[in-house]
This record gives sequence, C-alpha cells and structure tokens, in this order.
Amino acid sequence: MSFERIKPHLPWITLLALVAIVGIADANFLRPANLIAMAADIVPLFIMALGMTFAIYIGGIDLSAQSVANMTTVVATVTLPLFGVGAALVCILSGFVLGAVSGYVTTKLLVPSFISTLAIGGVAFSAAQYLSGQRALFMDAELRDATFGWMTGSSFGIPHEIFIGAFLVLVTWFLQTRTTFGRALKAVGAGEPAAVAAGLDVAKIKIMAFAVSGLLAAVAGLLFSVKLSGGSPTLANGFLLPAIVAVLVGGTPLTGGVGGVINTLIGTLIVAVIRSSMLYFEVDATKQQMVFGLVLIAAIALTIDRTKLRIVK
Amino acid sequence: MGSVLTRDVLVKWAPLLVLIVLILFFAAMEPRFFSVRNFARIGISSAPALMVAIGVTFIIIMGSIDLSMEGTVSVCAVVFAFAFIAMGGTLASFAWLALPLALLVGAAVGLLNGLVHVKLKIPSFMASLAMGFVGTGFALLLTGGDRIRVEDDLFRGLLTTRWFNFPIMCYVAVAFLLIAWFIQTRTTLGRNFYAVGGGEDLAHASGLNVNKVRILGFTLAGVFYAVGALLAVGRIGIAETATGSNFMFVSITSVVVGGTALWGGIGGVWNTLIGVLIVNVINNGMVVIGLPGYVQDGVLGVLVIAAVVLSTDRKSVTFVK
Repeated sequence: MSFERIKPHLPWITLLALVAIVGIADANFLRPANLIAMAADIVPLFIMALGMTFAIYIGGIDLSAQSVANMTTVVATVTLPLFGVGAALVCILSGFVLGAVSGYVTTKLLVPSFISTLAIGGVAFSAAQYLSGQRALFMDAELRDATFGWMTGSSFGIPHEIFIGAFLVLVTWFLQTRTTFGRALKAVGAGEPAAVAAGLDVAKIKIMAFAVSGLLAAVAGLLFSVKLSGGSPTLANGFLLPAIVAVLVGGTPLTGGVGGVINTLIGTLIVAVIRSSMLYFEVDATKQQMVFGLVLIAAIALTIDRTKLRIVK
Repeated sequence: MGSVLTRDVLVKWAPLLVLIVLILFFAAMEPRFFSVRNFARIGISSAPALMVAIGVTFIIIMGSIDLSMEGTVSVCAVVFAFAFIAMGGTLASFAWLALPLALLVGAAVGLLNGLVHVKLKIPSFMASLAMGFVGTGFALLLTGGDRIRVEDDLFRGLLTTRWFNFPIMCYVAVAFLLIAWFIQTRTTLGRNFYAVGGGEDLAHASGLNVNKVRILGFTLAGVFYAVGALLAVGRIGIAETATGSNFMFVSITSVVVGGTALWGGIGGVWNTLIGVLIVNVINNGMVVIGLPGYVQDGVLGVLVIAAVVLSTDRKSVTFVK
C-alpha cells in the first residue's frame, strides 16, 4: 500500500492514535465528562477553523480571522445593550463584510490573500480599538444571560456549545457538498485556470469564500465573548495558529481543492487532544506555541500537493 | 509630458513623492512636527524597523516572503540579553561578544527558515509564519515570560549618546543600510536575488543554484533581524518575548509601500528606507497632530493595499491566490 493511498485516512488515524496514547497514559482522559468538556472548550476555535477551511480550500489563506474575532468580541459587547439579540446580527454582518472586502481586494485588485487579509486584519484591529476605547469591556451579566444564555447552558449533560458546533458543521457541510456554490469551490480549488475556462464566475466564488471565512470568524468571536462575558481588541489572540493548524492537520492542503469541513472537524479534535495531552504529560504551557508551530510545518509538508506548485516561492 | 510620465516612472518615484507630501502636510498642520527634535524621534523609531525591513527586502526581491521576523527578533533579543548579562553586563568587558553572538543566532534562525522553505518545499509565507510562531514560543521558553533588563550605560549609549542631535543608533542603522546597499549592488549574491525574482526559470536555466540563493537570502535576512533586535533592545533597555511583536506588519508594510514589488525583481534597500520613513512619519505625525494612535493599523492596512495595487502590472498577472 503506497503512502498516497493512506494519505486521505491519515487525519483520523492520527486522532485515534493520539487518543489511545493519551488514554493509556492516563485513563481519566477517556472519561466521557472529560471528553465532552474538552470538546465544548474547543468550539470557538473550531468555528474559526471552519471558516478558515473555505479560504484554504480555494488555495488562499485568511490571516485576518483572529483580528475579525477580536473585533467581534468588542462589537458584541458594545451592541448588546443597544440591540439585544440583534447584536448577533451586527457581529455576523460585520464579519461577512470584512471577509468580502478581503476577497474583493484579493480577486479584483490582485493582492495576494496573505497580504490582503493581513491588511484587513489591521483595519479590524483599529476598529476594535476605536469601539472599545482601548479598554477591556464587560457584558452586563443579567442582559447576557437573558439574550445569549442559551449559547452557554447545557441540556442532557451536553454543553450547548457542542450543539452550536454540530449545527454549523452540518450547515457548512451541506454548503460544501450539496450546493452549486460548494461544487464551484471545489472547481476553483482544484484548478483555477480550468474553472475560468469552464465559464465559472471565479471572482464571485472566491469573494464568497472569504466572506464565509469572515462570517464564521465573527461567529467564533461572538461565542467567545459570550463565554467570557466581555470583549477586548486582544481577547481572541492566540487563535490564529491553532485554527490554521486544525485545517491543515485535518487534511485540507495549503494548495486547496481537497479536504473540507469534516476534515477540519477531525483536525480541530487533534488540536484539542494535543492541547490536553500537554496537560497530562505536564508539558509546560509556554511550549505549546512551539509544538503547534512544528506540527504546522509537518502537516503542510505532508499534505501539500507539489504538482500544483511548479515553483515554490 | 504624456510619454515621460509613464506608469513605470510614476511607480518609481511615487513613494518619495508620498513621503515629501506627508512631511509637508504634517508640517503645515503642526509646526512642531518640523523640528530636529521630532526628526530625531522619528529616527529612533525608524532605526530598528529599518533593519528588519531591509532583511525582508532581500526576500521580497526574490519573489518570496518572510513572516518570521517577530519570532527571530525576539529570540535574538533574548539570547543577546542573557549572554550579555552572563558575560559581565557591560560593553567594556567580554560581554561585547554577545553582539556578534546575536548576529550568529539571527543567521542560524534564518538558515533554518530557508531550509524548511526550500528542502520541505513549503511556500515561504507559510514556512516562515510557522517558524515565526516557533521562534516566539522559543523566546517565551527561554524567558519564562520575564523581562530582562539591559542597563549598561555604554550599550544604552545607542539611544542616549547623541551626535548632531541624533542618537548613535540612527548612525548604526545608516551604516547597515550602506552595507545592505553594497550587498545588493556589488556582490554576486545581491544580483542573484534579482535574477531569481525577475524570472526563476531563466535563472535556473542559466545555471544558477536557485535553492542555494534562497537559503542564503533567508540567512542574510536573519542577520539583519538580529541587528534590528539589538537596536530594539538598545532603545527600550529591555529584552522580552514581546520585543519582536508588531515588526511583521510594520516591516512588510514598509517594504511594499517603499515600492519593492511583491512579485519580485523590482526595488531595493533605498525603497525600503523611503517606506520605513513613510510608515514612521505617519505614525509620528498622527500623534503630533493629535489623532488617536489606534488609527495607525487601519491606515497602514489601506496603504499597503494601495501600494500593492499600484505596483502590480495587471497585464502580466493572471490570477492570484
């Protein structure tokens, strides 16, 4: 059996292997309560990674996701007393618009996505600082529970975050596999010149992909801000690296075209297990970033499709 | 006029024009901006940024990108500070050896970046971004989150000793700018950067070892990041994990705004000097005329998009990712 045949199955094999290793090292890890708490904790990151999947699926990258989520924590906290549940709509809309602008700058103005999203991230950071007055803001506890309490409660012993994550992965999975937009994404990711030749409106599809990425980054920020009951321009710092790692470890290569949201689900769980295993093996928290950086390099090196890159710049 | 004012001419001189207009604008808004004292302030904030931006200039000329500077700068700063203090804590002792040591560390980190990018065939933006995270993590590991104070008067003289109203660190930055200019124009390596950026196929076909040039480019960039780290430590007297933060956004913005094209082959260290000055004049000017500091990132973001759009020859680019 060649490596190419095993490759698509590597993510879930890795996940099972990691769970088994950590489970053997410490049986407490496998207690359902522990696994559920671990899954609930990772949901905001998972939502951001879901969005990132769309940007990477078409061969781009979204480096603004963290700044957009940061901005959303502030937007949510500021608009909650004004609009109530409508605050969620404001958040989602602002994420969508920022993502769409990144997409427009990338496709119409021909600025590579890692630069355009970095720049839009700067704009989002400025907006967050302006809206927050450069302070950490707190939500009114009563108002939060009345409006968004349903996001963080739990039913049948399962935290609601998990339901939100499951709902979003179903929606994005439907979007990816059962709609023309999803098919078009695949076409663009697999080979952009061919998609253009086939008559697809590639620019529109790519703009939409970045918009979805921005939207989901905003949802991640909203959920995170409700969880922590507040917002600040740096609240979601530290999300970007694990989000990219989750997508790539899951098996969506940097070159796009294969993989997808289910891969990202597996990738996020791998990230979650690595994180908690560091606790069990008593690896210092300060080493986490190094470990994830190295995991990222390994994941890219294993998954990237080098036939698509004639010259690696 | 029509034939003289072509797009190429405009693109070539636009950055300098923008810089002059900005200076005149801020001087008109607030006379205090146009003073030697304030120019020294701009010089101090520009010096470390210029070193880091020059490093990444070489990479961008090759058509690649390096996003690892935040990690590399932090690692160099922290290693320097530890070594400096361990060997005596003053430039008058053997602790001066910490200076070349920092440059060596920068070169080693850069070499590692280049190897990951070239040998594992990972696009440079992602390879270097990941290595940057590893670098920041490593710096955090070394310091455990502590700040290391470097209080030697001789070393802090970089900031406190002034010749003709400008601190020594400005002259150091200019000296390294001239070295970079020499490398760019008078060495084989410098010309090879342009050959790789102008057309890799052609460079490869003419027998150039492109991979070697790339790895050397990343190593050289690492050395300049280390110089930037030393100046940054000299400026605030502290080395910590956060020493490198914000250098990525600022240095990439500076290089691109200065007129070095992201596609490679065009631009150079003088463009970068103009770019760094544009960014720092904006940052300084906005504070001087009383605008809140948080507008900066947004303004720089818009500026960088405008610069890339202006420097892109739309006829030669089919699609971008």
